[in-house]
Amino acid sequence: MTIVAQAILNGIMTGMLIAIPALGLTAIFAVLRYVNFAIGAYATVGAFAAWYVNTRFGLGVFPSALVAFVAGGAVGLIAEQTALARLRPSGALAVAIASIAVNLILENVIRFIFGNDLQGFDLPIARDWRFAGLRFGPQQLQTAAIAIAIMAAVFLFLRFARFGKAMRAVADNPDLGRLFGMDPARIAMITVVLGAGLAGVGGVLLGLDTAIDPMTGSRLLLSIFAAAVLGGLGSIPGAVLGAVMIGIGEELAVLVLPATYRSAVGFATILLILSLRPAGILGERNT
Amino acid sequence: MLKAEGLVAGYGAAEEILKGASIDVEAGEIVTIIGPNGAGKSTLLKAIAGLVPLKGGSVRMNGADLTRQDALGRSKAGLAFVMQEKNVFGAMSVAENLDIASFGNPSGMAARREAVYARYPVLADKRKALARTLSGGQRQLLAMGMSLMTEPKLLLLDEPTAGLSPKAAEELFMAIIELNRSGLPVLMVEQHALEALEISTRGYVIVTGRNAATGGGRELAADPEVRRLFLGG
Repeated sequence: MTIVAQAILNGIMTGMLIAIPALGLTAIFAVLRYVNFAIGAYATVGAFAAWYVNTRFGLGVFPSALVAFVAGGAVGLIAEQTALARLRPSGALAVAIASIAVNLILENVIRFIFGNDLQGFDLPIARDWRFAGLRFGPQQLQTAAIAIAIMAAVFLFLRFARFGKAMRAVADNPDLGRLFGMDPARIAMITVVLGAGLAGVGGVLLGLDTAIDPMTGSRLLLSIFAAAVLGGLGSIPGAVLGAVMIGIGEELAVLVLPATYRSAVGFATILLILSLRPAGILGERNT
Repeated sequence: MLKAEGLVAGYGAAEEILKGASIDVEAGEIVTIIGPNGAGKSTLLKAIAGLVPLKGGSVRMNGADLTRQDALGRSKAGLAFVMQEKNVFGAMSVAENLDIASFGNPSGMAARREAVYARYPVLADKRKALARTLSGGQRQLLAMGMSLMTEPKLLLLDEPTAGLSPKAAEELFMAIIELNRSGLPVLMVEQHALEALEISTRGYVIVTGRNAATGGGRELAADPEVRRLFLGG
């Protein structure tokens, strides 16, 4: 019983971390209508940028995460402007395939600069806390708290900020947005920076717990994509819900399956959702 | 105040839909454009709003030449276009729709929103409801309210009563009259030609992209030729 409870707890923790890049993926999909698989590499870029300032300059978790947001967002914007945006007239599929290429290129650039080795963050080692038979890592709790704060910030931005509302408006009806003075192309770029930046922060938060290498983001990509599809591509609350469900599902799966099958949860989820309910749990439209 | 002359326009490389149509609207008027299906009525309205590129002709507003302005420029000059369909943000609340309509001029937004609520109390009652849950008539009022948030000088309505029940259509015509009496001129395209002409100061009949007839609203509505051609007797 305790084992299952511990797995669910770990799943919720992991899910909240997956939720951050999943928010980025789903926001980009909502406004630009394509699935950006480069989000995995943006997460890796963020993780390495944060690792660099953390180990080189001794920056703490919060400033490192901020650096990750800026680095992810900047790389995302450059990739969008130089490669992906040019392919948009050819359709969403062409852009999605190009984003896989961007993912591979960025992954190898990171490999070229930082090497293939695992890199660990320089953080104080703390003893796990125990409560009612369950283990909590202080680091886990801190990253979870950061994840919750980021999710709250994203919700508040979309709900109350002028540009946040404009993002939702353009996602809903770009032609009408144009009529009221919004520039859909500009809003799309803001969305890319936000989405790629979120991916960058997600990369750090997921890397803090373990270690990072150039494949960090690509390994997470399946879980991130599965979370967004499960919640409904384009749905912000859906991305969070989907991520927590995927996190729990993965943790429960490794109780009965060898750990190497962890990613099978993501594959199986994508397969089931796409064949049974393509709009996802909270998706509003069939796409 | 609005003077659109000799408008030539079409979509893509296809043959022009508008072949030199002219419209003018004076302060305080309601002007209705009628004509058979495919005559180019909606295209004419969109060409005036800047949503269809002009190949010829000119659009002037209070003496200022807007011909080279895009839709945003014409909107800033006071032309507010209400699309026939998809004219609200369905996934956003009524209040958010009104706020986001002020994206271009956010200052004084709250006061304008309250003025829209005062004009259309049904929107105030539904301010938290998602726009896609509104009835057809309420949605049309919201779309007009959103245009009012831009402080327009002329309202362009593309088939405002399309898809509405007869009762809702009648209520919407009343709302248009009321809006016009508060000083806002209206130029609209309507399928319910007879009803629209009844409330219009003047009307234009457009056939195959050109002006076919023009006159006072009631005068056109009573014209035997117009009735025979467009109003089914």
